[in-house]
Amino acid sequence: MNRREFLAVVAAAWPAANAFARSAAKNLVIDSHAHLSFRASPADEGNEALVLDAADKLGIDQLCCSILPKRPATVEGFQTANRVMAAAHKRHPDRFLGYCFVNPGCGQAAVDEIRRCLDLPGFIGVKLYNEHLCTDPIVFPVIELATELRVPILHHAGHSHYPVKEQPKMSDGGRLAELAKRYPEAKLICAHIGGGGDWEWTIKALRHAKTVYLDTSGSVTDEAMVDMAVKVLTADRLLFGCDMSWTAGIGKIRAARLSAEDRRKILGGNMQQLLARRARPQ
Amino acid sequence: MIIDTNAYLGPYAFRQLRYNTADRLLRLMDTKGIDKAWVSSAAAITHRNVQPANEELAESVRRYRDRLIPLAVINPFYAGWQDDLTACRELLGMKGLRLYPNWHNYKLTDKCCLDLIDAATALRMLITIPIRVEDYRQRSWLVDVKDLTPAEIVPLIKAKPQARFVLLNGTGYTSSLLGKKNNDLPANYWIEISRLSTVMANEIGKLVEVLGSDRIVFGTGMPFNAPDPSFVKIEVLQLSRKDKDRICGENATTLMS
Repeated sequence: MNRREFLAVVAAAWPAANAFARSAAKNLVIDSHAHLSFRASPADEGNEALVLDAADKLGIDQLCCSILPKRPATVEGFQTANRVMAAAHKRHPDRFLGYCFVNPGCGQAAVDEIRRCLDLPGFIGVKLYNEHLCTDPIVFPVIELATELRVPILHHAGHSHYPVKEQPKMSDGGRLAELAKRYPEAKLICAHIGGGGDWEWTIKALRHAKTVYLDTSGSVTDEAMVDMAVKVLTADRLLFGCDMSWTAGIGKIRAARLSAEDRRKILGGNMQQLLARRARPQ
Repeated sequence: MIIDTNAYLGPYAFRQLRYNTADRLLRLMDTKGIDKAWVSSAAAITHRNVQPANEELAESVRRYRDRLIPLAVINPFYAGWQDDLTACRELLGMKGLRLYPNWHNYKLTDKCCLDLIDAATALRMLITIPIRVEDYRQRSWLVDVKDLTPAEIVPLIKAKPQARFVLLNGTGYTSSLLGKKNNDLPANYWIEISRLSTVMANEIGKLVEVLGSDRIVFGTGMPFNAPDPSFVKIEVLQLSRKDKDRICGENATTLMS
């Protein structure tokens, strides 16, 4: 059985692996941290065309998206968001991949929603926001399920030297490192190095948490940011992302002093590997 | 010709800047294809007495005046600013200012600032105003300096129609009076692009529609910021070559001539 046949078999057996089958085809540029707009109806295409237009202009092949309802998210809110995400993937299966968004505070309903979504085509991971600190035991069932399903968890994060009144339960790189110690099998992604406060702090806090990835998204384009992340964490742990800050996202990768191989890994290779974990037999 | 209207030299109090000497900045500019840059002292942002930093800046660019155009940081809330301004213009040959009201403890509409604008305008100096230095979320535990808002700038623009302002490191103009059509403001302000979008919201495209391409200028924020994102903006901007040439260099040349 050649690679293509193998992928076809895997894809048929496991819907979410379709995404991997497509992305494994070539060195794709994959935005690991994207969003689509929340809307009540899956039939409503929202900002999908605008997002695709931006991605086309910037040479982004695939976007790993989540849709965030009003927060703190209710069960109904995240179920609606994920239904819209599923519809967006159906409309643009080669472009949009989905993170299942849940509020872990909703307990079994959150766990059930992850199981439901990750059984659908196009869902590739779990997205968590700031309803709970990632080290709160209420989050653990979600981490355990994502680990069992072999999918990454993209966790909103930021480190400020001041209390962030609007986000009292925002996690940071230090907490994600702590979570990684508890769950060394989990694949955690610390969100937006360019949108999460003191990025030097975050990079240093993640140094020894080898299973935590860092995405490069966010509006901050500070010189040396990606270079420091590569130096401290290695390119193997970085994932390209924009988080809707499009030119910032592409520009900071272009600015970084990277070998061709490291650039390939960051732009999509590492994310392809994460997607491949799902498809690979355990 | 590409002119970066938003560049800096010297040390910054809260973070290492890798390209903050004239030699290193020029090397970066050569790599990226930037012909000239308007530079001011990053150290002066946090110094009480800014003038030694202005003098240091002038000395550091002395051999490169064809490419590095120094601007003075003046604090009108500090003793002797009039002397500093005169020295910067007449002895150090600086043709413009950078103002940091929130870092230097004054408001743009305070009398001291209005006096500075008058004095600088009389000396035919351009006034540049960075809306922020760094992203507010990463500020040090030592200082809590907020970004300026477009709304704070409007009264100054109105009050001093003869002055010429360049607004740096800003965003959100299209939802403020500064980016509205028929806003009844004098056409005495220019907007720099480093934090503006070109896709989805496309703030640069909208500002060009409202203000014209002759009111937008190229800038990067280097060495605080990587210059590349600004180039990506220009690449994807759906404007004519002529409009892009204006933005990338012609407008800045006119402003500084």
